[in-house]
Amino acid sequence: MRVPEKVSFDKVELDYELPSITRHVTQELITKNACASLDFNPIHVDPVWAKKVNLFGVGKTIAHGMMTMTFLGQLITDWCYADGGKLKSMDVKLIWPVFPGDTITCKGKVVAKHPRDKGQSFVDLEISAENQDGQKVGVGKAEVILP
Amino acid sequence: MMQTSKEARTLIEKFRKSEKQKSFQYDFFADESKYEKWEDVKIGQEGMAERSFEVKTEDILVYVDGSLDKNPLFRDEKFAKKTPWGGLIAPPFLIVPIIFWCTGTGSGSWIRTPGAINPGQKIEFYEPIRVGDTITITAKAYDKYIKREKKYLTYLSEFRNQKGQLVAKWWGTLILPFSRSNEEHKLT
Repeated sequence: MRVPEKVSFDKVELDYELPSITRHVTQELITKNACASLDFNPIHVDPVWAKKVNLFGVGKTIAHGMMTMTFLGQLITDWCYADGGKLKSMDVKLIWPVFPGDTITCKGKVVAKHPRDKGQSFVDLEISAENQDGQKVGVGKAEVILP
Repeated sequence: MMQTSKEARTLIEKFRKSEKQKSFQYDFFADESKYEKWEDVKIGQEGMAERSFEVKTEDILVYVDGSLDKNPLFRDEKFAKKTPWGGLIAPPFLIVPIIFWCTGTGSGSWIRTPGAINPGQKIEFYEPIRVGDTITITAKAYDKYIKREKKYLTYLSEFRNQKGQLVAKWWGTLILPFSRSNEEHKLT
């Protein structure tokens, strides 16, 4: 197996696209994520309640927005954490609900490089999460410090 | 009063594993009458979360398992030792269970409001979280506003470890129902 090249600030180029990640969302995963995050809002965990209140007019639960942001975090931690990269900030708008049955793909692209003193240089990423229909569910920006 | 349905409870109880998960009040309807309301929040008011979060290995494991994160940096001490981190760290978003654990039914409890919607979040990350850390949160009411007939509330929460080092700053925003959920989502 070829050892992948280490991620570094000097080598990364503008417009570089991070390896995307895909996650399939089910009610089981949503409830498991509720247990993991301790966010047990009925909007996420209770299909009976969601049906009763006809949530979003579709009567289904929605996944945690923080799960989508956690996936976007994984896009970054999978890419550069083992090499010493570090998420500095994330600012995301959640613009479409994620329902059980959806498949979410997270993407990121380097759009700016900020040279700083050693260990402080960082890049800006445009990041997004979209569902199986290509509908964006979350869009935003992340700053990532690279070694 | 509404409560979490039997169907939901069965699935939740199937997945509860860690000590914190097992002792946590998962029925968000139970204390609903005590939660802070949008109307009562005064911008600038500050509060310290009711309790702190002691980070155990199992807390990190249940978080990565519950978010399909296979990264060995968060799971395998041997692997993590060989990285520039020098040992196992928590994924950045461990701050989510930390805020829900630390926030009780007092300051910041509006984050549990049944029916609240997450419109997006802004977070800055600083020191990594490691096993053995004790994380505390102070929060300040940062903004509240009405937009497109919806009520938004933002708190700025600062997470610190036992050394007093800043771990994260989170401008946390939710869209809150106009009234309590059992009125807002009145069944007809």
